[in-house]
Amino acid sequence: MTEQVESLIRKDYAAGFHSKIESDTLAPGLDEDVVRFISAKKEEPQWMLDWRLKAFRAWQEMEEPTWAHVHYPEIDFKALSYYSAPKSMADKPQSLDEVDPELLATYEKLGIPLHEQATLAGVAVDAVFDSVSVVTTYRAKLEEAGVIFCPISEAIKRFPELVKKYLGSVVPQKDNFYAALNSAVFSDGSFVYIPKGVRCPMELSTYFRINEMNTGQFERTLIVAEEGSYVSYLEGCTAPMRDENQLHAAVVELVALDDAQIKYSTVQNWYPGDKDGKGGIYNFVTKRGICHKNARISWTQVETGSAVTWKYPSCILKGDNSVGEFYSVALTNNFQQADTGTKMIHLGKNTSSTIIAKGISAGRSNSAYRGLVRINAGASGARNFTQCDSLLIGDRCGAHTFPYIESKNPTAVIEHEATTSKVSDDQMFLCQQRGLDAEKAVSMIVNGFCREVFKELPMEFAVEAGKLLEVSLEGSVG
Amino acid sequence: MSETSPQDFKHLALTLAGAQESAPWLDTLRFEGTEQWLEAQWPGRRTELWKYTPLSSLQRGQFTSWGSAQAYTLADEALLTLDAIRLVFVNGEFDAQASSGDAAGVVRFSQADSTQQALIEANLGKIVDTKRHLFASLSNAWTQDGVLVHVPKNTKLELPIYIVHISTPEAAAATANHRVLVLLEESAQAEVIEHFVSDEQQQNGFVNSLTEIQVGANAHLSHYRMNLEEEHLIHIGGVHINLASDAQYLGFTLSEGSQLKRIDYQICHKGKGAHAGLNGVYLPRNKHLLDYHTNVEHEAPHCTTSEVFRGIIADSARAVFNGRIHIHPDAQKTLAELSNKNLLTSDQAEIDTKPELEIYADDVKCAHGATVSQLDQTSMFYLRSRGLTEKQARTMLSFGFINELLQDLPQQAVREHLHRHLTQLFDKDQFVS
Amino acid sequence: MLDIRNLNARVEETEILRNLSLNIKPGEIHAIMGPNGAGKSTLGNILSGRPGYEATSGEIEFNGKNLLEMDIEERAREGLFLAFQYPVEIPGVSNMEFLKASVDARRKHLGQPELSSFDFMKIARETSKRVSLDAAFLKRGVNEGFSGGEKKRNEIMQMMLLEPSLCILDETDSGLDIDALQVVAAGVNSMRSPERSFIVVTHYQRLLDFIVPDYVHVLAGGRIVKSGGKELALELEAKGYSWLEDEVA
Repeated sequence: MTEQVESLIRKDYAAGFHSKIESDTLAPGLDEDVVRFISAKKEEPQWMLDWRLKAFRAWQEMEEPTWAHVHYPEIDFKALSYYSAPKSMADKPQSLDEVDPELLATYEKLGIPLHEQATLAGVAVDAVFDSVSVVTTYRAKLEEAGVIFCPISEAIKRFPELVKKYLGSVVPQKDNFYAALNSAVFSDGSFVYIPKGVRCPMELSTYFRINEMNTGQFERTLIVAEEGSYVSYLEGCTAPMRDENQLHAAVVELVALDDAQIKYSTVQNWYPGDKDGKGGIYNFVTKRGICHKNARISWTQVETGSAVTWKYPSCILKGDNSVGEFYSVALTNNFQQADTGTKMIHLGKNTSSTIIAKGISAGRSNSAYRGLVRINAGASGARNFTQCDSLLIGDRCGAHTFPYIESKNPTAVIEHEATTSKVSDDQMFLCQQRGLDAEKAVSMIVNGFCREVFKELPMEFAVEAGKLLEVSLEGSVG
Repeated sequence: MSETSPQDFKHLALTLAGAQESAPWLDTLRFEGTEQWLEAQWPGRRTELWKYTPLSSLQRGQFTSWGSAQAYTLADEALLTLDAIRLVFVNGEFDAQASSGDAAGVVRFSQADSTQQALIEANLGKIVDTKRHLFASLSNAWTQDGVLVHVPKNTKLELPIYIVHISTPEAAAATANHRVLVLLEESAQAEVIEHFVSDEQQQNGFVNSLTEIQVGANAHLSHYRMNLEEEHLIHIGGVHINLASDAQYLGFTLSEGSQLKRIDYQICHKGKGAHAGLNGVYLPRNKHLLDYHTNVEHEAPHCTTSEVFRGIIADSARAVFNGRIHIHPDAQKTLAELSNKNLLTSDQAEIDTKPELEIYADDVKCAHGATVSQLDQTSMFYLRSRGLTEKQARTMLSFGFINELLQDLPQQAVREHLHRHLTQLFDKDQFVS
Repeated sequence: MLDIRNLNARVEETEILRNLSLNIKPGEIHAIMGPNGAGKSTLGNILSGRPGYEATSGEIEFNGKNLLEMDIEERAREGLFLAFQYPVEIPGVSNMEFLKASVDARRKHLGQPELSSFDFMKIARETSKRVSLDAAFLKRGVNEGFSGGEKKRNEIMQMMLLEPSLCILDETDSGLDIDALQVVAAGVNSMRSPERSFIVVTHYQRLLDFIVPDYVHVLAGGRIVKSGGKELALELEAKGYSWLEDEVA
């Protein structure tokens, strides 16, 4: 029965096509001139260039991290290109009609139509292609509500005070090796600003696509939710199938001011490499949010792609009564490695955090949950609940749990549970005896295993995530 | 006091190894230990195994001499009352007068006959993984005497082996090496109790203890280890156990805190169908630092592990618990469970706990859980509504929290001793803020 | 309906069924009784194709088709239903979702259109009432946290929804109290029809007071050692199994 299950999870990567789009791609290499080039290309003010250079100089002093349970060949940072943009974007199309139809077709093919009339109702999309934002939909409608949703390159020019105030305030330039690199060379990403008391009228979404060869993608996202505001944001990611590994090192910063709420959902489907472990994206991402008084940040992620994933979306619970949540599904297959989890740093009183992490390992892959729950001395009445479950499919994969729990406050209550199980032969037999084929049975069991996380996704994306898992589990019945 | 550098400390420690006389047949072990000790990286904050436990207090002391057996005053009830084969060591030296009883197969290394010497040579330092356990190398370098418990096939040791290690004030700034080797052959059965105590006078000695255990096929070992030394003593201890097919190891450990205590348990399931049960209690207070690291390696199929650790951390103490379970690719049908629960009773207390699972086989059932909390408010209310003061209620519930692990101990002498000892401690409000 | 001819079967390396033959016509109820370890459950498992259970020789014809050549789910879609002795828990998969998928699979096979979610919900609710299960159970995980009796009633509810042509009840009565047993029996009886057959595997005669069989077979040592009408069950109740085992020996 196990073999049968295994044969089911041989997956095909549907987003693996490459679009023939002429690009301006910077020659590989990394020095201060590259940083200056990117800044100039984006027509940035001096303060932004200075900020980047400071990060770059810090990065040069830093050591590349190595991780105990993640293995990959050394990355040659000089062999990467740090900027690539479709040529057609050089003269900045003013409307969708001016955008290269080939670009629009690419997103169409990925299921992300950019014509507003064709999009999912109630979802505004920012489409980022290699290093530039292609188009942001529904901007007019959002502006009516006072919501700013635009490429961060544009925000630097139009809203310098906001960007200056918050950029690097949650993830400092020198936070870690990859965050420093991102701070120096980030090319684009999304900027979101929700004014005081505003409930963002629609879901915001950014769709990231790596297209060019040998380019790294370094996007930067900054979301600021003013007092009492609410926003739900989703990002999706894909890349073509290539034999070479590509680097993706993003930084996401969330600022939830008093009584604000940010819901951040990710469906990550970067190219995972082929069945022999060749190619795929290295996904080294720093995501962190800060919660002020009574604020709430929820991270929900469905991670099915990338050759190596290293990310710990975190919450700093600074304000009293603030809430941090992390819901995660990580599915690894073939030779994929995922080392993901979260950090919940409790500083304020009566802060609470919930962590639900589901790992599914198949093939020869390894999936690890690594998390930190830290209760500082001042965090009276803090509360954490953590549940980590692993599902193993086949006997050559690994599933690991490394939770760090640090408490300095006697009134805090922390609970951590972890279990490991497999798709049992009995479960498969029951489903089949009731007439379901093996494929359907596995996907049903896996979906059931992930249910607690899927229910946290916005409705449209929960369906998408379910389908994505189903595709990942598709194959012929052995 | 100024700190010696790690390098200086490492070298100073070795001058002790040279200062001893030991049997020539132990030389290989000592030489290899010396080399490994010198080559080993000194742990710092970035060393995962020592992340929360700085060794600065060890470096502060000048542990450059051996303790020697001295007269000591212990309260009457400091030791267990039980019918046993008793081996008493004072500051690392054998105290013949305080020791009693003998049994075939139970012998000090220095008294071993040629067959026993061969057994010791073949096993001592072989069960422990010195790469993972730095202070095991130091123990190897220092080893001069120790206790061998060897139980032949199909034999049951009728009496428990009771090994006592006493530290006295004279051992201040001195070191003591404690070494035990337990070998149970097929279907053998034994009970070993290790008991560390100290004279009540203040001191700051350093005890490096290492117990290696081989439980043969279908053999059964009950093992108790109590660290009840006073709070200035530094203790670094390791218990390393290999289990053959269908072997059973049932362990219990309890530690009071001190300025630095670090105890490692390493259990390897080497044969099919073995079972390990390990329960532990830790009770640091004042400014103690108490660290338990347990690691269970499931290398064979159909083995089971059940592990429960509970701690109460009072005052400005810090406790560290790290419980790792590692399921190797061939260890199918493993059942492994680990639970760690902690009570913090003061604003300055700290717990750092990390239950880890590393799993490379699919047909296994593993679970771990960890909690940090305060006393249950409903229970507090219930007790107070029956007329108890808040303090009484706290004492009762805190004691109950660890008593769940004490009350079922099969060895009556240990159970009663700990019950009495801990009741006194709790009555002095040591664990209740 | 079902024709078993000279069936030999084994579980892993152990021979369990020996030269077993059994013919079941539409509308009949056959009870299979026998002492523990006689191979009663093996029969249900072989018929439904449980992995690990292997027919080494003999033939089984189901509705004119070769049953042994079919996959597990094909057999189910053809109308063979096994009520499990130990129903399996599937955490996270809701009963409703599971049932709808099963019913859809069966309907598709029969060339019928899928039911809308609304219609299905209505039917499922009514059916759960018939086995005295609260409709809230439909939303819970499959058998997750159900009591023994609830699990068995859930099996009968699935049977009602799938409308199979051959129902195999594998010790559905064991562990049930008399009230639960009556609910289960009433459910089964309500499904009796001239087109539908039942194999009722049980250790206890009690069930047969409520589900009255047309034939009773005694299975011992992997073969049918005695067949008869419903009165055979009573005889067994009075005398136990040992006289039969002696007779065979």
